[in-house]
Amino acid sequence: MDNLANKYLRAQKIPSTACSGCGLGQVHKKVVMAIDELNLGIEDVVWGTGIGCAGRQTFNTWKGDNFAGTHGRVYALAAGLRVALAPEKKIILTVGDGDAFGIGLLHLLHCARRNVDMTVIVADNFGYQSTGGQFGYTTPIGYKTDSSPYGMNEANWTQNGIDILKILKDAGATFLARHTSFEGQSAVESIKKGIENKGFSLIHALYPCVTNFGGRALGSRKPEDSYKWFKEITLKKDEEVKEGKIGFHTGVYYDGSDTRVEFATNIREFTDRIEGGAKHD
Amino acid sequence: MKRIFDTGNAAITEAAIIAGCEVYAGYPITPSTEIAENMSRRLPQVGGYYIQAEDELAGLYMCLGASLGGKKVMTSTSGPGYVLFSDPYGWGISCEIPVVIIDAQRVGPVSGITGAPGQGEFYLSRYPTHGGNFETIVLAPASVQEAFQLTIEAFYLAERFRTPVTILADQLVTDGWESFCIPETQEERNEMGIKVMDRKVNYGPVFYPATDEIDIPPVVLGHNTGAACSDWTPTEDGYDTEDSAAHMKHSYRLVYKIRNHRDIIDRHEEHFIGDDPDLILVAYGSPARVVISAVKKARELGLKVGCIRLISIWPFQDKLFSRKTKYLSVELNFEGQLVREVQRATSNGSEVHFFGKCGELPSVNELIGVIKNILNDEPIVTQQWKSEAW
Repeated sequence: MDNLANKYLRAQKIPSTACSGCGLGQVHKKVVMAIDELNLGIEDVVWGTGIGCAGRQTFNTWKGDNFAGTHGRVYALAAGLRVALAPEKKIILTVGDGDAFGIGLLHLLHCARRNVDMTVIVADNFGYQSTGGQFGYTTPIGYKTDSSPYGMNEANWTQNGIDILKILKDAGATFLARHTSFEGQSAVESIKKGIENKGFSLIHALYPCVTNFGGRALGSRKPEDSYKWFKEITLKKDEEVKEGKIGFHTGVYYDGSDTRVEFATNIREFTDRIEGGAKHD
Repeated sequence: MKRIFDTGNAAITEAAIIAGCEVYAGYPITPSTEIAENMSRRLPQVGGYYIQAEDELAGLYMCLGASLGGKKVMTSTSGPGYVLFSDPYGWGISCEIPVVIIDAQRVGPVSGITGAPGQGEFYLSRYPTHGGNFETIVLAPASVQEAFQLTIEAFYLAERFRTPVTILADQLVTDGWESFCIPETQEERNEMGIKVMDRKVNYGPVFYPATDEIDIPPVVLGHNTGAACSDWTPTEDGYDTEDSAAHMKHSYRLVYKIRNHRDIIDRHEEHFIGDDPDLILVAYGSPARVVISAVKKARELGLKVGCIRLISIWPFQDKLFSRKTKYLSVELNFEGQLVREVQRATSNGSEVHFFGKCGELPSVNELIGVIKNILNDEPIVTQQWKSEAW
């Protein structure tokens, strides 16, 4: 364990049981780096997780308080927790693409609408990898998985003009960013901004699954082949997505930090007004 | 005492406020919508928070999240929403989170009839989630006053047992108007037997002890206790484990913390039981009121019958059915649910019969007819329902 892990993470959980070559650890590390660079302590963060590789691998790694929800429900759980927790406590969720963009999307959108103060790190490995590699909502169209043996043949949230981050922005999210696990300080800076935003923040963090997505969809379990593929799909600033291909511009997608009233702040102020009025009566 | 004329929904709301409920999250559904409406008005007046959730799953999860943050919480629903609770119910049971859940039973299956009473969630309230390895606490009011008192009890039991406690009401209780009393002073609260327990914080390091003990504070996040709670089988300190020995310990706790403290859960009422009656009627909720009237009338007619009204439903009170006699379960469903438990609990040689209606109560005369049928060893035949398989 490095110094950062010693400072913030539980020795029993590090290293994780992730496959060799998995990029999840890099995403996890960037979240911890962001926390450290914001000078937050163990007592400042309550860490939640969902189901799947991202959820199970990061659950109870945090030295402080931890919780994990069932598949897709941790957003509703966190929204309830938000009204009970002290406002200065940070809620950070590390979840997967199936959890956030599939089964839990309804709750995620409502958290964006309510602008619930939480930072959701969607660690995206392009499908359901912990169950062996089925397609999800970010699996590129045409890619083969165990449940799309002829190629993924439905629309996803990240291709052909559809972008889940745009949907979340329209729903009311106040900080959105997208990065890959191969990016360094720029990703850490985005996570920091997300944590600092008093409202709903989401960082879409793409990372390689060499075992299932690599093995089946990319045809190689070599980490360097996943790296090459990530280089191809990470677009330069002025580079356009090629017709029928998948590609991502990384960095801050939308920064509306502190432009909308936060959910728990709003409900507290509302209650204070009514309670004050009731006492006055 | 303040005397109020209002619905069961209103009584449940006032009870929750007295019990110290701080957060309500739920989704509107007939016939429990008024609880949500009343909570949206009452909670902010006392410093609490009302959250209207995007669905029932979210409603119960928000309650569980707020409880996990240290607040006392309640949600309410009816059949179609009650099934959606299945996932968060399990989370609350396994993570041992106090929460009060109101189910106003209506006519099912599915949406069925919204504004009429049913009793179709008898077993669902015992098995509200998958996977087994747990016991539940379920209380069933038969009147508006009782809905008030049992709701306060539910909050108390939820804290002591750190588990979801369910009020299995029905549409007649929640929508029905009756006068009920609310205590205004501590003295009046004591007189009514009202007990309120404040939330305590578990400071660890043992969060999920392998014991049947109650009164262990639940996990509360935000106090930097290093607590962890999840949907996974927990070790005593909250780590997720795939170890079946750890799961056995966890299951033991979830089952026996409830089974070994029946003395503070079990509740029932008996009428005309002392003289070893030839037939004992069994019911809970609204139909129990007609059953009591029918038994009184039957006694006037010289028929030796009695009745048992169940107030706590789960864990089931087997010992009430130790007498060898005839039993008749009267329920608001057509297939018979409570009757199965009565049949299981009765001693060998007892005859167990069933009479069900749904959407409306049976009349006293109807029940007298059924009582006579059974006492004369005649089949129970009801209009448009050819024979009673039970």
